[in-house]
Order: sequence, then C-alpha cells, then structure tokens
Amino acid sequence: MDLEALKEAVAAGDVKGCSLLTEVALEAGHSPQKILNEALVPAMQIVGDKFRCNEVYVPEVLVAARAMKKSLALLKPLLTKTGVKPVGTAVIGTVKGDLHDIGKNLVCMMLEGAGFEVADVGADVAPAKFVQAVKDTGAQILGISTLLTTTMLGMKDVLRALEQANLRGKVKVMVGGAPVTQAFADELGADAYGESAAVAVDKAKELLRIA
Amino acid sequence: MTHRNRVLTALKRQPPDRVPVDLGGTLASTINIHTYRRLMQHLGFGEDPPVAFLSRRSNSVLPDERLLQRLDVDCRAVILGNPDVNPEREMPDGSLTDEWGVTWKHLGEGQHFINTDGPFYGKEPGPALVEAFQWPDPLDPGRFRSLRSQAQTLRIASDAAVILVLGVGVVHQIQFMRGYAAALEDLIVAPDFVQAFLARYAEFWVRMTERALREVGDLVDLVMFGDDLGTQQGPVMNPALYRRMIKPTHARMVQAAKKFSKPVLLHSCGSVAALIPDFIEIGIDALHPVQVTAKDMGTAQLKQQFGRDITFWGGIDTHRVLPRGTPAEVREEVRKRIADLAPGGGYVLGSVHNIQAEVPVENVLAMVEAAREFGKY
Repeated sequence: MDLEALKEAVAAGDVKGCSLLTEVALEAGHSPQKILNEALVPAMQIVGDKFRCNEVYVPEVLVAARAMKKSLALLKPLLTKTGVKPVGTAVIGTVKGDLHDIGKNLVCMMLEGAGFEVADVGADVAPAKFVQAVKDTGAQILGISTLLTTTMLGMKDVLRALEQANLRGKVKVMVGGAPVTQAFADELGADAYGESAAVAVDKAKELLRIA
Repeated sequence: MTHRNRVLTALKRQPPDRVPVDLGGTLASTINIHTYRRLMQHLGFGEDPPVAFLSRRSNSVLPDERLLQRLDVDCRAVILGNPDVNPEREMPDGSLTDEWGVTWKHLGEGQHFINTDGPFYGKEPGPALVEAFQWPDPLDPGRFRSLRSQAQTLRIASDAAVILVLGVGVVHQIQFMRGYAAALEDLIVAPDFVQAFLARYAEFWVRMTERALREVGDLVDLVMFGDDLGTQQGPVMNPALYRRMIKPTHARMVQAAKKFSKPVLLHSCGSVAALIPDFIEIGIDALHPVQVTAKDMGTAQLKQQFGRDITFWGGIDTHRVLPRGTPAEVREEVRKRIADLAPGGGYVLGSVHNIQAEVPVENVLAMVEAAREFGKY
C-alpha cells in the first residue's frame, strides 16, 4: 500500500481511519519512521499551510491533530525501540498566572506533526518548572505562550531563570500569544516570535537550522 | 445634545455633536477593580470607594455614577441578577461555580477567572447530552428582580444611554460547558450535538431576553451580548461554517431584541472582518471591540468597507497602548481611531477590552480627555 490514504485520513481528521491505516501500513512492512515522515508529517504540513492562509480554521486543525496523535501513539513505541531520533525536542508551556492553552496546544500539535519531540508542561507554569523541563529533556527549543497582557511580563522571569541556570546559551526561546509582538519579543531578548501556531514549525526549524 | 442622544445618533450612523465615550457600559468595556480603585482615589472619591461588580468572573466593576459624570461618559450598564436557583457563588478553594455547572478558577489577585471544568467536559457529545442536562430556568426571578430599579436610578441620575447587558451568547456558553477545544472540534465531528445545544440555548436566551425587555424595555436604549468569533489571525471557524451552524441562532437572538425595537451591540473579539457582512445581515447595529491589533482589523479599512452599515464601538488598543504606552501615545491612538472611525457618525469610543489591572490611571484619563478634545464634529 502507499501512504497516501493515511495522509488524507490525517488531514481530514479521520481518527478511526488513522488507526486502521497505520496498522495496515505497519503490517505491509513500512517502517515507523517512513510512516511518520511520508504520511503524518506531510499531512500536518498541508493542514498547517492551509491554516496559515485561512483555508482551514482552528476546528479543522484540532481534529486533524487528534487523528495524527492517534497514529503517532501507535508509532511512538516502535520509533523509540528502533532508536529513531526526533528532529528536535521542544518544551512548551503557558506562562505563570495564565491558564489559556489553545494557542499553546496548537503549537504543540504542529511541532509534533513535524516530527519534534514535545514536552508540554501545561499552563500556569512557574519559571523554575520551565527550567527543570529544559534540563530534564535536553530541549533545544523552549516555547512560551501567554494570552494576557497582565502575565506577558512573566516571560522575562523565565528568560532570567534560564540565565541563572546557565541554560540560556543552550536553548532557543520562542514566544507567542495574542498580545505578544515582534517588538515585545525583541525587548525580551527571545530568539523567535510566532504570530500564529501555523508559523511555529518554520520558526523552530529555522532556529535549529533544519531545512 | 444629551449623552443618550449622542449614542443613539452614533448608532444611526449620523454625526452627533461629539464622539460618544463608553467606559463601564458593557461587560467587555469596563474596568478592573484594582485600576478602578486607583482611579477613584486619584480623582478624590475616597481611599476605599464602594465597589459593585459588573462581572465577578472578570473582576470588573460597574463604575460609580460620580466617576462617570466626572469623566462625562455617555453609557451606563444595567445587568441581570444572579438567579435564585444555583446562583454564581464562591467555593472554598476560591473558584466560582455557576448555574450551568461551570467551574471558574481564579487566576490570582486582581485577575479574572477562567473556566476549567463544566458539565460536558470529557463526555461523549450527542443530542442526548443536551436533553439530559438540567437546564436553568430562563425566567428565574433573581435575574430580573433589580433590573427596573437599576434602570430607573440611572434614568434619574443621568441622561446617559442605558445598555441592557445580556451576557455571553451561544458560542461562549457551549465552550464554557464543554471546554474550548472540544467545543470547536464538535463543530466538525459532532454537529448534531452542537445543533441540539444551539436550539436549546437559543430558546433559553430568547425567553430570558424577552422577559428582561418586558421589565425594562421602556428604560433601556440598547442591548448587548458577547460571542468571540476571532483569533489574532482570522475567524476562529470557517465563515461558511459560522453561516451554516451559528448564524441562524445569532439571528434568532438578535430578533428577540428587535421585537422590542432595541438596537443590538455585539461584542466579538479578534479578527472578525470576514464575518461583519453576516453581522450586518442579521441586524447587528454595532460591533465591539474592533480589536485593532488583530489581522484585517485596521480601522480605516473597516470604516471604508462597512461604515455605512454598522457602528464601530471600542477601538482603543488594550494590548499595548493602554497598559504599556505613555499618555501621549494614548492620545495619539485616540486621535487616530477618531480620524478613522468617526467621520459621518457611527463610532462610540472605548477600550478594546476591559481596562486591566496594570493600566496606569494617567492612561485611562488620557483616553477620556483626548476623546473630548479630538471628538468634536
């Protein structure tokens, strides 16, 4: 079988189809890495591109990501067993004092869909917890999100905590969220700003110099 | 011109004597309790001014009549009361719970509350879920008990436009009860659940609204409700999906107010330019907040495209200018929004969202003063 049907099932958000087609693909002898790289990643790339140009919207992205995760859950143990490395590791969370998480979750889904290992540390995350997660995972990317103007300054505290832990040179920091702008990201000294979840993958790849 | 006529003229997209100003007229254009206290102290209204909440969830106030007169604000809010059955109440852990079974967690001192749990969270979505839910009584007397006295007091104390604040609409209510992401996914994967909810909620909403307007229709000038449909980048859902699924319910909600000949102010955050023709078509008279930092929400363009058919309400940036700008930058923001949106009428000036806890008092005053200065027709 070719992997086109699985790709389409992911893009269409067909959860049941994704499970079945992933199992069939494995049965047919495709390696988990090939299924990831030739079905899941391109499917999420298509969804991300369409999202960016308002051809699909948040509901369609959420549904596609759910389908992608279903397939990924079947592949992950096999990928680990065969020692396949993710393209990069990212720690993602919403800043302390803020519980809004849709934007942050969309970024996690997009990065996972591009083959990143993502440690989602959740919402209302204290600087120390971000630092610990970066240490624990050896992440190259740290993504911080906020929706509130009242909590956006908390991003500064995270950057300061990274410096204090001597990690600032080892991890690239991406920031985003409704009130965040490029100017604010520059003021913070962040390495990248994403104006939407759709561009997070490009930014992360740029930072890690992955084509 | 009276304050009321100023607003009503703007709603008709005719030029009043000056651009009307809103502060505290709706649940999304008022002021956080802490900034409010600082503002009251600054203006000499006492160290510990009395506080009435417009919304406990957003920790925002119904501003004192003395303050609104001092600032020459043109709008006032009347709000529905807590129901007698299952009123919104604080739990031992500091969270709030409401009549819909939604849990609201407090984000911290001075902050608002955000929904973290509800009766449809994690459930299998289907019409049965809607049917099995114990729906609150739209005619619960607690909602209406103080309406008339609120409105009468405002009519005696001022000549301002009185806004009946009806709260959130159907999009938010399903998100609160189901969770934001799940409710958005349901639009695609469980449309029968969404349709069942919309029908049932619209029925609730219409009965509540009609009852409220029978009570105070002679004393209020317009009604307001909020349903956020935008993200920073565009509509939260495909406009075609909005038209198919949500718009008929919004139309029904608007009709409930139109039956009483009341103009309708819709609050909808984010980039909603693509939906404005739909809002106009179903009879929305004014759109708040004109979130100027979102894509496609440039005020000159919006005015040019839609200014003949809808009144713009809000427009003063709360992402950067009010919290982090200087008073001079606030003045410039006010000047620009008036230049873009006011020509020919059709603009009520105010903040894009509730003025938050970190906004300097000087910036609030600069907004109001600049509106007077630049707002003359």
